[in-house]
Amino acid sequence: MTREKETTLYLGPQHPGITGNMMIKLKVSGDTVVSAETHLGYLHRAFEKLIERRNWLQSFTILCRFCVPEPDPIELSYALAVEKLEGRAVPERADYIRTIVAELARIQSFLLWYGGQSGSGGLYTLGQWSVGDRNYILDLFEDLTGARIYHMFMWPGGVRRDLPEGWVDKAYRTMDYLEKRLDDYNKLLFDNAIFQKRAQGVGIIPKDKALEWGVVGPPLRGTGIKHDVRIDEPYAAYDKIDFEVPTYEGGDVWARALVRRDEIKQSINIIRQALDNMPGGSYYNRIPNPMKWTVPAGNAWAKTESVRGEIGFYLVSDGSNKPRRAHLRGAAYAHGISVLEKILPGENIADVSFILNSLGVCPPEMER
Amino acid sequence: MDLIHNLKEVFEIDAKIKNDFQIEVEAKKELVSSILLYLKNQHGFIHLDHMSCVDWIEDEVFELVYIVWNPNTKKTVLLHTKIDRNKPEMENIDTIWDQANTYEREFREMYGIEFPGLVAEREFILEGWTEMPPMRRDFDTKKYAEETYATRPGRENAEDVREKIIKRTGEEIPDFAKKYSRD
Repeated sequence: MTREKETTLYLGPQHPGITGNMMIKLKVSGDTVVSAETHLGYLHRAFEKLIERRNWLQSFTILCRFCVPEPDPIELSYALAVEKLEGRAVPERADYIRTIVAELARIQSFLLWYGGQSGSGGLYTLGQWSVGDRNYILDLFEDLTGARIYHMFMWPGGVRRDLPEGWVDKAYRTMDYLEKRLDDYNKLLFDNAIFQKRAQGVGIIPKDKALEWGVVGPPLRGTGIKHDVRIDEPYAAYDKIDFEVPTYEGGDVWARALVRRDEIKQSINIIRQALDNMPGGSYYNRIPNPMKWTVPAGNAWAKTESVRGEIGFYLVSDGSNKPRRAHLRGAAYAHGISVLEKILPGENIADVSFILNSLGVCPPEMER
Repeated sequence: MDLIHNLKEVFEIDAKIKNDFQIEVEAKKELVSSILLYLKNQHGFIHLDHMSCVDWIEDEVFELVYIVWNPNTKKTVLLHTKIDRNKPEMENIDTIWDQANTYEREFREMYGIEFPGLVAEREFILEGWTEMPPMRRDFDTKKYAEETYATRPGRENAEDVREKIIKRTGEEIPDFAKKYSRD
């Protein structure tokens, strides 16, 4: 048998199919990937170093930039870690508002993912629709937090503002609208033969290896393993809310897409329940003057569930008014490097971007 | 709790309960890989959640933290160890978990910690870096930025740059508030 010539192909750092500024060095033989290597260094802004030079509250201006499509779970993980270090209680109302914000963040990120996943498969209509609909969620964010993308809203001790007048009704209306739209999305993507053929049996993560490889979130649940931080280590108001964690077998792009599709429905369900049962009272357990605010020495590990998987923060305090170390564990850190390098060999070049989108790789999480 | 008892019995180390879901252990660096293997193979901590490094420059040590998770019991173990900052070297654990390779590459580059046996390109995020590993506490980010990057002329201080532009070019600065007003 003659061995076909191997060619080196660089996917990124500037390429429409890449999920951010990163590069995958592919060795290909014909149309088949022989090996893949993730290269970073195009996006490093030393976030973690900068946080060490800022006080506990100033860090929030940097935290949200760790991942543009979904900054809220990062803020929340950090806030939870500070609260663990300090033993600061959070009012019940704030827990419910945090749950709503976290789920809205999940839905808007899912809608953005629809665009990426379908676009990398050559189906562009759905992306136009879902990104358009995402704006209704951003409107809700703007009314609540004053910003559409970077909210800096979930501070240690609660949330920055209470729900404005009329916001709850608007949120209910938006959920009703989105629920109807999901049927349209289904027809356009999941009933589409092109998407089915391209997604099924592609980018398989083996079930018996998934946990060992560090796979989390929808890619893990797409292998049939039921793990979700919201259930396993409940935070905010998730322990008071009834919801399901969808899982599918197969471990391929198709299974991951089905998990995400079902999770949007669950997010809508969670938001409705939180709005129905919203308790009264305070929304913020006020922190001292932020410039003089010191946090007791120690370390804390807190994590939340984002669309891409778990987002953890390892936070260390030396008792001063600045974090000694703030280290983010983003889902992409494993997904975008070691997992990707394992599952790409044997796949077709055209499927690389498709697989990348299904894993939810966010480069700024990898080089912080 | 069984795990705390077993760790005491096998490795003679004290583990303490941190909260409902977390257990914290501190061990000497020579024991780390054995403890991690023991946790993985005997107690089901098959998921390496995170690895972190903290620079305690005043004590001349780096603290390495291994965070592992058990999917059945939903418990997390945080294993801390300290290594000499002047001769930073730690055992490579990517034979236990593949993805540890990524963390170790990052620590080698950002803190200058060597992991003998680590097979990976030396450059990970930084390219052609010749300075001190930048995540070390004594690396002065501001000084490095001032020495390396040029400031745009006219922006050295907080002076209103628009006035300078008017003087230099004679150009009038538009009244943006009026120009973009909806009234």
